[in-house]
Amino acid sequence: MTELRGTNRAMFWRIIRRLLSANRGRLFVMLLALGAGAAVTAALLNLQVDAKRRLTSEFRSFGANVLITPHDHPDVNALSAVMDDSLFDRVPTENAGQKVTKAEFLYGVVQLSARDRIRQSTSSRQVINAIVSGYAVASGSEYLPHGLGQVAPSVVVGGKNLDQLNIRTCDVGRELASRLNLAPDLSEGVVLKNSERQDWCAVAEVRGFGGPEDSQLFLELPAAQALLDRKGKITLIQLSVPGTPRDIEHYISDLRIALPEVEVHGIRQFTEGEAKIYNRISGLLTATVGIVLLLTGLCVMAAMTNVAMERKMDVGLMKAIGGATRRVLRLFLAEAALLGLAGGLLGAGAGIFLSIGLGKAVFGVAAQPRLIVYPVAVGLTILVAILSAFPLRRLASIRPASVFRGEA
Amino acid sequence: MFLRLVADSFGRRPRHKLLTGAALALGMAVATAALSVALDVGDRLAREFRSLGANLLVTPEADSLPLEIGGVDYRPVNAGAYLPEADLPRLKTIFWHNNIVGFAPILEVPIKVGNPDSVPKTASYIPTSEVRMIGTWSNHQVQVPDGSIYVTGIEKTNPWWHVGGRWFAENKPECVVGSRLAKRLGVSVGGELMVFQAIKEATPTSSTHLAVVGLLETGGSEEDQIVAPLSVAQALSDKPEQYRQLYVSALTKPEDAFAKRDPKSFTPAEYDRWFCTPYISAIALQIQQELPGTDVRVIRRVAEGEGQILTRVQMLLWLVTGASLLAAVLAVGASSAASVIERRTEIGLMKALGAGSGTVGFLLAAEQLLLAFVGGGIGYALGIVLARLLGQKVFGAAPEPSMLVLLVVLGLAAVVTLLGSALPLRRASRYEPAPILRGE
Repeated sequence: MTELRGTNRAMFWRIIRRLLSANRGRLFVMLLALGAGAAVTAALLNLQVDAKRRLTSEFRSFGANVLITPHDHPDVNALSAVMDDSLFDRVPTENAGQKVTKAEFLYGVVQLSARDRIRQSTSSRQVINAIVSGYAVASGSEYLPHGLGQVAPSVVVGGKNLDQLNIRTCDVGRELASRLNLAPDLSEGVVLKNSERQDWCAVAEVRGFGGPEDSQLFLELPAAQALLDRKGKITLIQLSVPGTPRDIEHYISDLRIALPEVEVHGIRQFTEGEAKIYNRISGLLTATVGIVLLLTGLCVMAAMTNVAMERKMDVGLMKAIGGATRRVLRLFLAEAALLGLAGGLLGAGAGIFLSIGLGKAVFGVAAQPRLIVYPVAVGLTILVAILSAFPLRRLASIRPASVFRGEA
Repeated sequence: MFLRLVADSFGRRPRHKLLTGAALALGMAVATAALSVALDVGDRLAREFRSLGANLLVTPEADSLPLEIGGVDYRPVNAGAYLPEADLPRLKTIFWHNNIVGFAPILEVPIKVGNPDSVPKTASYIPTSEVRMIGTWSNHQVQVPDGSIYVTGIEKTNPWWHVGGRWFAENKPECVVGSRLAKRLGVSVGGELMVFQAIKEATPTSSTHLAVVGLLETGGSEEDQIVAPLSVAQALSDKPEQYRQLYVSALTKPEDAFAKRDPKSFTPAEYDRWFCTPYISAIALQIQQELPGTDVRVIRRVAEGEGQILTRVQMLLWLVTGASLLAAVLAVGASSAASVIERRTEIGLMKALGAGSGTVGFLLAAEQLLLAFVGGGIGYALGIVLARLLGQKVFGAAPEPSMLVLLVVLGLAAVVTLLGSALPLRRASRYEPAPILRGE
C-alpha cells in the first residue's frame, strides 16, 4: 500500500514535470505574466510603506512647525520677554525615529551701518534701526553652523564662503541688505551698535525669505547675547518636527508636559496644512496602489485562465486513460501552484530591484526593503495562479471522445 | 473570405476570445486609471497646497524697513508707505489671473479698545487697552475690469484662521476678536467694543462702536488682535482707500532648474516661455507690472516646500503608473502569445491549404487588433470609472476623461497584442504544415 502510494507520488511529480516542460513557450509566457504581477506587487507594497514615511520628512522643507515662547505676555513687550537658553537642551531631539531640527533665537533692535573693510570707516554711511536675530541651529544633538535654511526656508541671493577666515560672519535678509547698500560682492561688513556696545560682522550670505526675516540680520547666538546684554537668554525656540500629523501632535503634548514654564504650540498654518496634504497624498497613494494591484491581479488571472483553458487536450487524454476527475484537477492545480511559486519568487526578486530603483528615482534614497512584503507578494501570486487554474473544473464535465474528435 | 475567417474564429472560440479580451480590458483599465490619476494629480495637489495659504507678499516699494517679530510690527505708526486699494482689481487682469485663488489686503492700526459693558454710560473717562487692529477683507466683492465680480478675502489667504461665530460683513461696523484678547476684555460673540484712535483721548464721543460677530483662533499673535473690515481700519488710521500689505495665494507650477535662472539672462524666446508658465516668479513679476510701486516677494516658507513635494508626489505616481503599465503589458502580451501558440494546428491547416505566411500572419494580426480595440475600449471605460471613483474619494472631484489617455491606451493595446503574438507567429511561419497536422 505504501509502495503504491510512493509510486503514485513519483508518477504525480513525473506528470507535472512533463506538463511543465512539454511546451517551453507556454512555460515562459506563464512565468512572465505571473512574475510581472509579483514584481509590481512587491515593488508597490514596498514603495507604499516607504513613501509615506519619506513624505513626512519631505514636509520639513516647510521649515519649523512648532514654536516655544515665554508664557503669555502682552504682545507689545514681545522683545523683552525672554527665557533661559538651558531650555534648548531640554527639548527632545527625536520624534518617531527621525531627528528634530531645533533653532533658538534672541531678538533685539540695534543700530546697523555698513562698513567698508578696506577703508575701515563708517562715515557717510547710513545708520538704520533693524532687528538682530541671534540664532543657533541643532539637528538631533549636533549643532549645524549653517542651519538657518533648515528652519527658515529661503533662497540665497548672494554670498561667499567665509569659512576659511576666522572672523565673525552673519547672514543678512534681502530687504535689509538693499537698505544698507551692501555691495553685491559683499566686500563690506556690518557694524552693529547697541548703546555703548559695538560689534562687527562680515556678511556671508544675503537671503530672501519672503517674510519679516527679510529685514533682519542673523548673527551667532553668543555674539548676539553679548551685544544685546542678554547673557544666557533667548526669545524663541523653533522646532522642525518630523513625523505623521499624529506623531507631531504627540510630540507637542509631551513637550507641553516636559516644559511647563513656557508655551508650546504648533504653527497652525503648517501643522494643519501639512496634515491635510499628507492625508490626501497618502490616501491617493493607497487608493492608486490598491486599484493597480487589484486590476493587475485580475489581468494576470485572466491571462492565466486563458492559458489554462488551452489544456483541454491534456485533460481529455488523462481522462481517456482512466484518470479520475479529481486527480486530474489536482495535477493541474499543483502545476499552477508550482508555477505561481516560481513566478512569485522570480517576480519578488525583480521587485526588490524595482523598488530600490523607484525609491532612488523619487526620493534619492533607496527604499528600505521590507521583508514582510516578499512573502506576501509570493503568496498572492500563488493564490492568483491557483484561482486561475480553477476554471479547469469545467473541463471535468467534457467527454474525452468529443475532445479528440475536435468538437467542443 | 478574410472577414468570414475572422468572424468564424470569434464565433468558434468565444470563451478564449472573451478571456483574452478580459485580460486586455483589465490591463488597459489599469493603464487608464493610473494615467488619468497621474495626469490629474498635479493640478489637484497644487490646489490642496493652497491650504497653506498665501505664497506671495506684496509690500510698498518705498516702505521703511519693517521691525517685525512674531507677527507684530514695531515701527512707529506713521513710518512707511501705503498702496492704493483701487488698484487691486487689476490683479485679476494679469496673464495668469485664473491661477490667483485669493488675495487680501492688510492694514494694521494700533488702537485703543474698551468694553462698553464695563463702563457706566455717564463716565467721561473710559479704561482702555492698546491693541492692534488688522483691517482686511472677508468675502469682499471685487469688480474686475472685464465686468465680472470676484469674491475673495482673508479666509482664502489664511485658511488656518478659524472663526467661532461668523466673519464680519464688509462695510458694516463689525469685527472679529482674537480669542485671547476676547478673554482679557471679557467680550463674546454678540457683544460690542468701543475702539479709538491710539493717538486720541478715549472719550465716549470719539469712539467707534463695533459689534463682535466672531472669535478668532489662529494659533499665533492674531489671537491678541482685532480683525475688522478694511474700511474701518482705514478710517481709524486716516488712510482712506489705502493698505499696507497684500497677501496673494496663487496656483503655481513647481520651479525647475529653468525657472530658478535669473530672468534677465533669458533670450527673448526663453523669456516668453518663462512668462507664459505659471512659475511663481513669473506670476510675481506680472503682479508687480500691474501694481506699480510695489515689491512682490515669494513667501519661501510656503513656496519652496510646495514645489519639492509636488515634484516628488508626481514622480511617484508616474512611476507607479509605469510599473502598472509594465505589469499590464507583460500579462496581456503573455495572454496573446499563449493564444497564438495554441493555434498551431489551425495555422498548419491553413498553410496546408495553400495560405502563405503573410496571409496567416495578416489574419491573426487582424484578429488580435480587433480584440485590442474592443478590449482596450472596454478597459478605457472601466479605468475612467475607477479613476473617477478614486478622484471623488480622495479629492472630492473627478478627473476629466482625456482623449489623450484613450489614444495612448488604444495604441498601447494594439502594440502589446501585436508584439505578444509576433514572436510565436514568426516561429509558426517556419513550421512545416505536415508534422503539425500529424500532431507531432
